[in-house]
Amino acid sequence: MSGWGPIVAAIAGLVGLAFALACEPGEAERPPGTEASARDERLRVFAVAYPLQYFAERIGGDAVDVRFPIPTGIDPAEWSPSAEVVAEYQAADLVLLNGGGYAQWLERASLSRRRLVDTSVGFRKRQLRDSGGVQHAHGPEGEHAHAGVAPMTWLDPELAIAQARAVADALITVRPSAAVHFESGFAALERDLRGLERRFAVAAQELGGAPLFFSHPVYPYFIRAYDLNARSLHWEPQEVPTEAMWAEFRDALAEHPARWMLWEAAPESASKALLERLGVRSHVFDPCARPSESGDYLDRMRRNAEEFESLEVNRPPPSSVE
Amino acid sequence: MTDVLFLAWRYLAHYRVKTVILVASIALIVFLPVGLNVLVGQSAEQLTARAEATPLLVGAMGSPLELVLSSLYFESDVPDAIAWAEVEAIEDSGLAQPIPLDARFRARTHPIVGTSLEYFDFRGLRLAEGRRMAVVGECVLGARAAADLAVGAGDTVLSSPESLFDLAGVYPLRMRVVGVFAASHTPDDQVVFVDVKTSWIIQGLGHGHQDLAAAGAAAAVLKQEGDLITANASVVQYNEITPENIDSFHFHGDLSEYPLTGVIAVPHDDKSGVLLMGRFERPEVATQIVRPATVMTELLDTIFTVRAYVVAAIGFAGAGTLATAALVFLLSLRLREREIETIVKIGGSPARVAAILVSEIVVVLVLGAAFAGVLAVLASRYGSEAIRMWITS
Repeated sequence: MSGWGPIVAAIAGLVGLAFALACEPGEAERPPGTEASARDERLRVFAVAYPLQYFAERIGGDAVDVRFPIPTGIDPAEWSPSAEVVAEYQAADLVLLNGGGYAQWLERASLSRRRLVDTSVGFRKRQLRDSGGVQHAHGPEGEHAHAGVAPMTWLDPELAIAQARAVADALITVRPSAAVHFESGFAALERDLRGLERRFAVAAQELGGAPLFFSHPVYPYFIRAYDLNARSLHWEPQEVPTEAMWAEFRDALAEHPARWMLWEAAPESASKALLERLGVRSHVFDPCARPSESGDYLDRMRRNAEEFESLEVNRPPPSSVE
Repeated sequence: MTDVLFLAWRYLAHYRVKTVILVASIALIVFLPVGLNVLVGQSAEQLTARAEATPLLVGAMGSPLELVLSSLYFESDVPDAIAWAEVEAIEDSGLAQPIPLDARFRARTHPIVGTSLEYFDFRGLRLAEGRRMAVVGECVLGARAAADLAVGAGDTVLSSPESLFDLAGVYPLRMRVVGVFAASHTPDDQVVFVDVKTSWIIQGLGHGHQDLAAAGAAAAVLKQEGDLITANASVVQYNEITPENIDSFHFHGDLSEYPLTGVIAVPHDDKSGVLLMGRFERPEVATQIVRPATVMTELLDTIFTVRAYVVAAIGFAGAGTLATAALVFLLSLRLREREIETIVKIGGSPARVAAILVSEIVVVLVLGAAFAGVLAVLASRYGSEAIRMWITS
């Protein structure tokens, strides 16, 4: 019987080897509750403009974690996030865009198109062209300028509501289970924006087409929304205009006898005094383009409404208008 | 019965060289047709798996095979371009998710593929180091490309000029490597992945240059008339995108007309896929949509017709081998006449002698078949990986 050993061992070994090789390793099981825990997480939303961050926070409440990671003191129009910050945008569930070329860094960033939400897509035909930049020419394509669409759509409450609606729709698409919560948040925001709209409309009506100046060409949507008789300059509040700019302004004032100048921020006292001498009073109308310690978008737009209402001497107090 | 098997085994063990040759011959002749079928099947599977995993492919009118080879395997000539508008049209249709591809340039021998982040999720590519590209000028490498180019995250890769003698052609772009994918044993391992916008910059459709309105750019200004500044030939254009100059990079013209070599369309469901294909049936459409699996199957059907002839030839060779083995046994009977006589003289019946001889044959056949089985299992278990490595090498 001892002669059988090698035969049995050889055949058993071969069969065993074949069996072992034929057996596929089992697929690792998904840890239980993974999907449920993923559902419980807050939606991670990144915005490219501060008002969109505000809209998403108002609509999403605790269900969303909204970020606009711009460093303090940086002008959003000139901000270009580092590759590392863009990588954070890549990890977001949604990226809220203002559309119309706002945040030109998007042109140079790699972001998943599935996650991009263009909040102005619903009113693309109502977008206004920007004043543009310096034209230049080189190479075979000839002269060109890097102009785009005027960006600050949120200064027109009607357009702001449309953008907020786009934000709400995007949130509902990503998390339908929270639709009621998001709709409730949107309804509250819409009420506030409608209130603003009414105040601006009444104040604009009382202004009655009186001429006014804006210090910067960032208000075209606001001007159009209330059919204002306004002209825009290109003055910075923190800089006192040069003699040439004053001369140009005097000429403009002769054609357009405005009594008010609306600034992005409080102007230099010298500028303010010189304007006063020309019979032009300075007011601040915050474009709300960046986060501020002075309040959120709604607080600041309400202050804008108060400033705008104060242009007319015999106007009713804001509380009676709203 | 045990003593019969014992005597058979002792005989085979005594003539071990002859036994090993017989077992090996039988194992090989059994394994060859089986193994060939397994390996050919797996080769076909490997080649078609990528095509099967790519539901639909949109490209310029022309050879569907060229489009598939170019877009899936990054081989073949660069097909004619289609416009970025195709991506927007597919997206707007709501029927499929489009993934753009622009595979026209190379970094040495490795294809540079301009695409979007969706491609990596679609192909299931996992990062071995670093991160995915975030801005133009960054690239992520497939495992083999990183090994061949001897670079990793933090290094740079230079695109190759289209023609050494085309001085007015596209300048090479130095790209920062920000990540390397783990080996996937697919053609993706060979690729230098960039954002499609980086691909357009390599092509010269987007560029960055010094600010012509800045004071330091006076030497580059040919003339200035109001807001129009015309640059002369000395204007500095950047051939590397850095954090310092990235903001100067821009694209001219209508982006929807920018070129792509193909678009992968991932339909939301079967019905959407059929509807999408229907949209490309209209005669006025200048692009084609193909199912890569169908194109590859047609190609493989043609190539593997030869397999039937090979298997038939192996069958004939096998029959010859078995006949030779039978001859060896018959001849060995003559040589073993005295041995058989001895068994009979010590009391072994003719039936027992026959049983011993049959047992020897059976043991050889069983061992040969068992070895063939092990080889077949090995081929099916590891052949796939070997073929993948061979295909991507």
